[in-house]
This record gives sequence, C-alpha cells and structure tokens, in this order.
Amino acid sequence: MSAKVEAKAVHKRFGEHVALRDFTLEVEPGEVFGLIGPNGAGKTTFLRILAGYRLPTSGDVRVDGVSVVHERTRVQERLGYVCEQPKLYADHTVLAFLRLMGRLRGLSGGRLAQAVERGVERFALGEVRSRRIGVLSKGFRQRVSLAQALLHDPPLLVIDEPTVGLDPRQQLELRGIIRSFGGDHTVLLCTHQLSEAEAICNRVALLERGELVRVTTAEQIRSGPGLEELFLDSTLQAATGEESR
Amino acid sequence: MRFLAAGGMVMLLSGIGAYYAVGQVSLFSTANLLLGAALLLAAGVLEARRFRGFSGRLARSLALRWGAVLAATFGLVVLANLLAFRSGLTLDLTVARQYTLSEQSLTLCAELADAERPERVELLLFDDALLADDVRLLVAAYRAACPIETRELSSADAPPAAAALLQTYDTALVVCRAQRCEHVGYPSEQNITSALLRVVGEELGPLVYFDVGHGEADLASERDHGFSALTSALRNEGMRPRAFVGAASQDVPDDAAVLVLGSPERNLLPAELDALDRYLQRGGRLLVMLEPRARTNLVELLERWGFSLPDAVLADRQSSPLLEEPQPLALVVNRFGSSHRVTSKMSSRTMVLLPTSRPVLAVRKPQADDDLAELVYTSPQAWAESDVEAALSGREIRPDPGELAGGELPIAAAGRYPRPGGEARIVVIGDRDFASNRWIRSLYNQDLLLNAVLWLAEQDTRVTIRPKAWTPDTQPLPLGTTLSYFYSLALALPELLLLLGIHAWYRQTS
Amino acid sequence: MTLRLAALFAKELRSLFASPIAYVVLTAYVALSGVYFFQHLLNYNRLLFVFQGEKLGSSGFDSGTIPLQVNSLNELFIPAANDFSLFLLAVLPLVTMRVFCEERTQGTDELLLTTPLRTWEVVLAKHATTYFFVMIMIAASAIYPAIVVTRSQLGLEHLLALYLGQLSYGVAIAAIGLACSSLTHSQLVAAMIAYAIPFALLDFAWLEPQLSESAAALLREVALLGHLQSFTRGVIELRHIVYFAGGTLLGLVVSMASLELARAR
Repeated sequence: MSAKVEAKAVHKRFGEHVALRDFTLEVEPGEVFGLIGPNGAGKTTFLRILAGYRLPTSGDVRVDGVSVVHERTRVQERLGYVCEQPKLYADHTVLAFLRLMGRLRGLSGGRLAQAVERGVERFALGEVRSRRIGVLSKGFRQRVSLAQALLHDPPLLVIDEPTVGLDPRQQLELRGIIRSFGGDHTVLLCTHQLSEAEAICNRVALLERGELVRVTTAEQIRSGPGLEELFLDSTLQAATGEESR
Repeated sequence: MRFLAAGGMVMLLSGIGAYYAVGQVSLFSTANLLLGAALLLAAGVLEARRFRGFSGRLARSLALRWGAVLAATFGLVVLANLLAFRSGLTLDLTVARQYTLSEQSLTLCAELADAERPERVELLLFDDALLADDVRLLVAAYRAACPIETRELSSADAPPAAAALLQTYDTALVVCRAQRCEHVGYPSEQNITSALLRVVGEELGPLVYFDVGHGEADLASERDHGFSALTSALRNEGMRPRAFVGAASQDVPDDAAVLVLGSPERNLLPAELDALDRYLQRGGRLLVMLEPRARTNLVELLERWGFSLPDAVLADRQSSPLLEEPQPLALVVNRFGSSHRVTSKMSSRTMVLLPTSRPVLAVRKPQADDDLAELVYTSPQAWAESDVEAALSGREIRPDPGELAGGELPIAAAGRYPRPGGEARIVVIGDRDFASNRWIRSLYNQDLLLNAVLWLAEQDTRVTIRPKAWTPDTQPLPLGTTLSYFYSLALALPELLLLLGIHAWYRQTS
Repeated sequence: MTLRLAALFAKELRSLFASPIAYVVLTAYVALSGVYFFQHLLNYNRLLFVFQGEKLGSSGFDSGTIPLQVNSLNELFIPAANDFSLFLLAVLPLVTMRVFCEERTQGTDELLLTTPLRTWEVVLAKHATTYFFVMIMIAASAIYPAIVVTRSQLGLEHLLALYLGQLSYGVAIAAIGLACSSLTHSQLVAAMIAYAIPFALLDFAWLEPQLSESAAALLREVALLGHLQSFTRGVIELRHIVYFAGGTLLGLVVSMASLELARAR
C-alpha cells in the first residue's frame, strides 16, 4: 500500500528567515519523489514538517487526507522517517535499538520479532546485530536508520539525504533498495546528488530559497537537458532575480 | 544571552547564600539579589526574541492553548493546596500517636464547643521559644479539634498577661482566656489540656474537700507521703481541692462536690460520723481511701453502706516479678470491673500499683434500689493476710487456711444510693499510699483516682485515660557498633556504587 | 499505549544507567548522607554522655537527667533529614539537566518525536525514569536511619513517613529540573535554573519580618522546607502531599508545553 502526500501553501519562517514560501506539492501514491535544491532551499524543513517534527507557520500537509498539523500521530503511524546524518541511540545494540523503535511504533511479540529479522536481513545487518551503534561505521548506521523506518512497513517513507557519507558501492546498493520500494510504497526523499535523483525518482521538484521552482518527471529529465542544467538554470535565474531586486 | 543568564544566576545564588551564611539581609546580599534578578530579566527578554518564530496563526493558537493549560494547571494547584490546607487532614504515624489528641482532650474540646463562653480561649505559640518547632503539629491538632484560637507570635509581641508568665517560665505555649493566662510547661498534650482545664475550670470547677485533722495526708506537702501531686492533678482536671477540718459543729459544706477521707488514723467523733451520714443522706459523694492498718470507726460507717473491709493486708507473690525488689504486699493489678464508669476504660494494659492494700468487698445493698459494684481485683494467686503486723513489718508470710484466698480479691468498690435528698455515691479504695506523691504517677494510679473523683462529681464524660507523655528512647548505639556501621555502610556502599559507575563508563568508552 | 510507554521507560532507564553520571550522583548522595548521618549520631552520643548520671559505676547514660528535648528525634533524625534534603537539592539538577537537553544536542529528539508517540508519553516516560532514580537514591540512604530506628523506638511507620516526605520533595525537585531541561538546549543553563528555583523557594524567613502577618503566612506556605518538617516528625499532612504533587504536576505540564511549543519554532 502507498500513500498520497499533499502540501498546500506551506509557509515556514524562523524569525526573519523564511525557509518555505507558499509551498504547494502533490505526491501520488507509489511515486518515488525527489526534492533537490541548494543548501538552505527548504528541503529538510519540509521533510521535518511532513514527519511531524515541526509545525508550519501556516498551511497544511496531508497524508491520505489526514492533516499532519492537527492529527500528527495518525500521520506518523503511516510514515517512516530517516533523518539527515542518522541520529541513533549510540548506547543501544542494533537489535535492541530496532526492538525499541518497533515497540515505539506499536509492534509487539511475534510481529515485532519478524519485523526486526526482516529489517536485519534486508539491510544486511546480521554481522553487526549485537554491536553497539556507537561503534558502527556511517554506512551501517545509515542502514540501521533505514531499517528502523521500515519496521512497521509504512505506506510512506521519508528520507533526508539517504546516501550522504556512503561510499559508491553502498550508494548503489541503497539506491536499489529505495527504488524497489516505489510502487508499493510512496517515497519522498531529498538529496544533493542530482545523479541519484535522476536514477531513482519518478518525479523531481526543484526548490530554491523556500519556493517550488519547478517539478519535472523522469521522462522529461531523460529527454531534456538533464537535471544538472535545470538546477543551474534555476539557481542562476534566482540569483539574477535577487540582484535585480 | 547565556552569559547574562549564568551571571544572573550566580549573583542570585550568591545573594541568597550570603543571607544564609550571615543570618541577616545585608548590602552584599541585597545587591547580588537585585543585580542577579536584573541580569536574568535581561536574558529573558533577549531569549524572548527567539519567540518571534511564533508569528504564524498555528503557532499563536498553540501558544495560547498551552498558555491556558498552564494557567489552568496553576489555578488547579493553588485550589488544591487551599482545599488541602482547609481540610487539615493528617495521618499520625508516630509510635505513641503523640500528635493525635487523646479522648480526654477531645472530650474537653467537645465541652468547650457546647458551652456558652463569651471570652474566647487562645493558645499562643511563641515561635522564638526553644521547643516551638516541636510543638507546632500538636497546636495544629488542637486547632483542628477545639473551638479555640491559635496564634503564632514572637515573645516580644506577647500580651501583658502572657508576657508576665514568660518572665518566670521558659515556655513555648501559653493558654489565655480574657485576662487570665496559664503556662503549659513542657509542650506535651497532657500539659496543654491541663492548662486548658485550668483556664476554663477555675471559677466553675467542682469543689473537692479533703477531710483533715485525723492523721490524713497533708494536701500541701511535697514529701513522699504528701498529697501535693494529687491536688495538682485535680486542678489540672479543672477541680478545686480544699481542706476541710471536720469538727463536731460543722456540717459538710453544701458546695462540696466530693468529700475525700484519706485514711484517718484516729476515730471520728460521733458528731463527725453523724455529719457524714447526713451528708450522704442528702446525696453526698464520698471517696474513702483506707490503709490496711487503719482500724477506725469509719469501717463501721462503711459497713452500714454495704461495704466490708476485713482487717487484713493483701499479698500476692505474682506481682513481685514486676517490681525491682520482690515484695508480696506491693500489688500490681490489672483486673477491673469493666461495667462501671470508673474502670470501664481500664484494661489489662493499664496497670495500677498499690504499695500496701486491704480487701474491700461490696457485700449487701442497704436498700433494694442501691447499686454496689467491685472495681479492682487482685490476681487469682492473691490472699488476704490476717497477720497485718507481721506482714507490714516485713516478716515472711504465706496463705493460711481460713484466710481469704483462691480467687480475685476486690481492692476497691463503689456504690450508688438513691435517697430522698439525692443520689449518694461512695467509692472505697483499700489503699491510700498509691495516691501519695511517691506513687501517684506510677503506672495508671492517677487515672484510677481521678476517674473515681470525676465519677463521684458526676463529671462522667471526662472519665478516661489521660495522654501519656512520650519521648524517644535516649539509648545510643555503642561507639564500636557506630563505627562498624559507618565503615560498612557510609563508606563501602558509595565505594560499590562508584565501582559500578566506573564499569559503566568503561563499557561506554571501550 | 502502555507498551510504548513501557518501552520508552526502559530505554530511558538504560540510557540513564549507561552514563557514569548516574553513578557519580548516586555515590555522592549516599556518601554525603552516610557521613553526615553518622556525624550527627556521634554528636548525639557525646551529648548524652554530657548528661550522665551521678551514680558511680553507671554506664554513663542516665536518661533521668537528660532534658526531654534532647532525644534521637531532635538531635539525630531531624538534622539528618534536613541534610538529606539539601543534598538532594544539590545533586538532582545534575541528573535532570541532561534528560531533555542531551536528546536535543545529540539530535535523537528528531528520531523520537517523529514516532507516533504523544508528547505526554515522551514527557511522562522521562519524568518517570527520573522519579525512579530519585526513589533509588532515597532508598539507598534510608539504610542509615533504618539501622538506628529500632533502638530509638521511633517505629517503622515514623521512618516511612519521613521517607515519604523525602520522596515527595525529591520528585518535586526533579520535576522542576526536568521542566528546566525541557526549556533550553544547554545542560549548564538547565542545571543553573534548576538550582535557582528551589533555592529561591527554600525558605522565606529572611523576608517575613518585612511583610504583614498574612503575607508572611502565605510565604510560609510557599516555602519548600516548611513542607518537610511534619513528615520528619512522623505526621503525614494532606496539604504537604498536595504541595509537592502540585509542584510535580506543574513541572510535567511545563515540560509538555515546552516540547509542543518547540515544534512551532
């Protein structure tokens, strides 16, 4: 099963700084949707709002019609979130951590055990299952982070910078895993790696200074100038526009 | 902002710490408090700028909602505190329940509530007195149960009557009514209730006359055989003890609530016996305490009123293990007539010590409507030794055939006699010394005696067991034991915890 | 809901005891309590010896000559309980300061708050873990009075009342500290506010002479230390329980408000 995501006029400001400006977006069920943009574009801010970690200043985000602003926990039951630079409980072993996260998501007994084993197998964590997270490499931590997000088989997976810090082989592996989720699950990810977005996303949205500049499909990317050029064009336009202002 | 906040807190803590160190508000502590508060305020204002992020509608509604929740919680907490304060509910878990008022105190409080007294009774606690902290809870118990005012004040603010007492007595509590005050002494429940009784009972308390002139004990004497402790105890019950010189020409005063005959050693004059009889016929109340050696014509008077006092001394070998020096004549008794008002509150745990005693039996009713009852009994092993001189001179005695024995022998008895002139009451106790200064405070002697007087004076509702003063034991741990506990607990236990901590740190870093 | 709460409680407990600071705090409290308790005990013994009886060959202790107010309650248990409460105040902020702050600085709050846990569940689990730790601390220090209480004839119930007071007080202090931890990112700031608030509320004796009788009476009701005295004397008064429970409730609600409002920032 997969979920539909609708963001309507989402506005977020931090003091004087506007992180998201009238951001409106729709992600269809089963899509792998990518958010790209320069640093400070508002990608992570949007994902955090979607995951319920932050509230928008105004506007709303809905997952299958359920508002994340007013019914946060209902939305959170339906999504798995992987944050940027995986933040995990370093004093827990991998198994203990996965069991904890499973319980926090309402799993118990046999269901929990099965989900944990599935996660360990899917992300090849067998050799590190009894090791403390604090001593794991970045790659393994990222896998643990992904595993915890998928324990409860959520319809929506939200990932912030999935492959940052991973070596090329690990990046390829992870892209394959994410791509395989599409169809049965909706995946919303943000990334700096344009090639990654090109390779795995059905659609890509380009953000610039909190605004949605453009949404393009995989076909348009393949048939057109490519994401890199689109990205540079947009950033140049934005810079020119800023100068003229 | 952090520097401001940290600096502000350091100054605030310094200001408070300076006060506690010196014990008074000084320029240093005031300056630190003011500056510290100012710095914290500045830090707060700067911090508040972060809340400009709360500019959206959603954020504002969230902030308003939680502001309302906080305000409501605060209001709820204040209300709950107010209600709890007003309720005054307490649970006394002390061993002796020393902060729970005894039946006597509660009865007095109920009487105070019922009586119409224009002047209020005040209990003043001086917060600068040595034992003020010890007594606050007890004062709170009186405030909750009694219709009296309680006030906490410094001795410098004491009203004139109380101030005069404070010059003489080092006391934390004073009870006052109108211009009259009584000091409490050591702030125990017993002393507070006694002071209350003295304050409210002085003009109205029953008169208890003590017959003198026939070798009875001296009321004012503070020697071992004197009765000064008894008279003091009666005053603490709100009674007025007086000496009465029984002469042939004088009837027992009409205002006598009780007449006490404390074992006269000489015969009463015939006129005195007649006076006694007339007194009883008009509803008089008589308490007779008679020593074993007393062989006077009073015994015949009592026989006419239904009592029998055999010329014997009671002995009981079972009592002696309870005393330091084994003496069969010194009885420790705990068997009481449970149906009579005088002893209904007494039980096997409330023992009475009688140094030397004689049997007192209720044998016959002078008239059909009369009611006689025995009050106090020996153990089944006691007997009445007829060779009184031998027993009292310390010679070895044992039960002989023909002597009263083989059952619980009565030592005290009481009678009620409805007569045309009123209901006469008599209590006869086969010992006088138990009421003397030396023995009255032993075990429950005072309770038995006071209950008898109260019943005779028709102050039945105050018949009770009085609160016992209790202090924690003062036996310390031996030095060696103290040190071994110190090493094993105060040092070893923290050491163990520290080792566990090192283990946890090692696991974390390895 | 219960499973989630239990899982979070277990996780918090694990994190607490994985850190050496819990042991350091526990050690410090137990050590200080023990040393001061035995110091009071030795002083009490010396005081009794001063009042020794005149009889030759006596043990040196004759309770007949000892003033009534010199007893184990006034000279040992009450001063020891006062010391214990000050030590609690001294060490608890060191435990509470990290509870919320550490999650924020390590970033694990993002992990926790994106699970379907309600805010009150997160707050309750963290508070419950800290209260449990307070209970352990107080239970450890209870050994000292417990070994003496039978000889002093105070009774186990009296000791329980004393420790109920310490526990109520400790939990309220912890709740204040947790609320402070939820308000800031800095453990240092959290600890300092957590020290400042209880110290400021400790006792208003210094201010009372300047105020009217009713204002002074109100301040006495607000002061922390005054609410401990009756427990120490073996009496449990409802108003004191409500006072500490109210402080704890306020700490809980402030923590919840802080977490909720942090989302809006």
